Amino acid sequence: LLLDAETSQRGFLLTQDPKYLEPYEAARRQIGPDMERLKQLHQSDPEQERMLEDLSRVVSDKLAELAQTIALAQAGNVAAALDIVKSDRGRESTEAVRKTLSDLLAGADIRLGADIQDMSSGARYLSFATIIGALLVFLVGAGSLFIVVRYTRDLVRARTEVQTLNETLEERVQERTTDLARANDEIQRFAYIVSHDLRAPLVNIMGFTSELEAGVGTVRRFFDEVDVDATNTTAGEAKLALKEDMPEAIGFIRASSTRMDGLINAILRLSREGRRTLKLERVDFGDLLDLLAANIQHQVSEAGGEIAVIRPIPALVSDRLALEQIFGNLLDNAVKYRDRNRALRITIRAVEAGRNVHFEVSDNGRGVAKEDHERIFELFRRSGVQDRPGEGIGLAHVRALARRLGGDITVESELGVGTTFRVSLPRVLRQQGLGQAVEGVNS
Amino acid sequence: MSSEPQAVTIVMVEDDEGHARLIEKNIRRAGVNNEIIPFTDGTSALGYMLGSDGSGEASARRHLLVLLDLNLPDMTGVDILAKVKANRHTRRSPVVILTTTDDQREIQRCYDLGANVYITKPVNYESFANAIRQLGLFFSVMQIPETD
Repeated sequence: LLLDAETSQRGFLLTQDPKYLEPYEAARRQIGPDMERLKQLHQSDPEQERMLEDLSRVVSDKLAELAQTIALAQAGNVAAALDIVKSDRGRESTEAVRKTLSDLLAGADIRLGADIQDMSSGARYLSFATIIGALLVFLVGAGSLFIVVRYTRDLVRARTEVQTLNETLEERVQERTTDLARANDEIQRFAYIVSHDLRAPLVNIMGFTSELEAGVGTVRRFFDEVDVDATNTTAGEAKLALKEDMPEAIGFIRASSTRMDGLINAILRLSREGRRTLKLERVDFGDLLDLLAANIQHQVSEAGGEIAVIRPIPALVSDRLALEQIFGNLLDNAVKYRDRNRALRITIRAVEAGRNVHFEVSDNGRGVAKEDHERIFELFRRSGVQDRPGEGIGLAHVRALARRLGGDITVESELGVGTTFRVSLPRVLRQQGLGQAVEGVNS
Repeated sequence: MSSEPQAVTIVMVEDDEGHARLIEKNIRRAGVNNEIIPFTDGTSALGYMLGSDGSGEASARRHLLVLLDLNLPDMTGVDILAKVKANRHTRRSPVVILTTTDDQREIQRCYDLGANVYITKPVNYESFANAIRQLGLFFSVMQIPETD
């Protein structure tokens, strides 16, 4: 730009033609902003700033010189202007500008070189980092691959194990089932034989007690006929024994053996029920419940109560006789243990639960105390006031039956409020090896 | 009717001596005075009825009525029943099963094998005595064929 200005100055000086001045003016206008730009670019470097100040000083000298010559020329003193140009001042100032500029450039070069060095060392660090990074990536990759491989191997092994287990599972279930069935059969057989064999001595006890009683009666009649000497104390004691002690003893023997007979019969019935082969059929349960309800209807009506079978009641595939016994027993209990202070109300409803159906037999009877909820299902155990005849067999029997039908029974009850028995039964009972009848038990 | 009904011999196979005694007492009370031969095990009873050779020849021309308990120490009464009913000489002899078993299958099996009467011994003595006395009455009007 300075050169442009100088050239146009010279042209103007030579030709006196103002046209040559145009590039000079343009250059002059542009030099100011250019200097500012340079200053901004090199702000960060104090050395370059100093050089730039030199430059701007030299440039303004030059511009001042140029302006001076042009002013002289415009004033008509072309010769004087030419003198100045001829003198070394113009050349010197131009030289100074050139030198300063080249210094500036050299400084920039050096700085650039340093920058490049910095950059290349930076690049080296970067490549180191990249290599390390790559190594890490590789390690992580290898590690995860190893883990994946190990995991997969474990998985495969586990699957093989599961498969083996699965294959043997059927077999083991079969084995267990057979064992259980055998154990069950054994218990049933045991109960049957024991109860049966207990019966034989009981027949004797009862029999000879009766014989004894008859004998005592005969002797007593004899004593009644024969006048006993009142002074004979032995005879008096004998008469007392005959009239009071012996009948009392016989009474106790008879009562106990009768009770024992009841218990033995109960065990016998339970074991026989357990040995009975279930006959599976489709049972219209609603009709069955209606029938059972009708059976106790007159007892319920007598007590001023009512019984309701709430539909819908689903049909079941099960053993009809067992179902009759279960629900017949529950309904009998509801009537038997009603609260006499209020009208009896029995409700039967069915709640479907997946493959099972829960049947609820609810009453507003005297209820069962909480601590007896489990006990009432035990054989020969009863709960509450013992004012009704019973052996404590019914619910034990019901539970055994419900379990044989693949279900169970639970009770919810509050003393003095009522009782709900919930019998859970499978919709479709599948015949299993368990609980099958044992053939050929003789006695 | 056999010309000499008192010639009928009652063979009682019962291992429980108490039962045997009670049965005998009540039969007597019913007015039956026939000879009662008690056995407490199956082997000796079969020995008497079929003879030591088991042919049954020993019972030829005898009038036998068998009272049989099913629960015996050495064999079941069912075995005895089968043997008696299978033997040419004893098959017409009436057999009364008198036992504590009231198992339906057992009862059916006995009738299938040819038992004539099946009575369950009730534990209640009155019923028991009654059943035996009625059995005694039954014996007194019953025609017992002579064995071949």
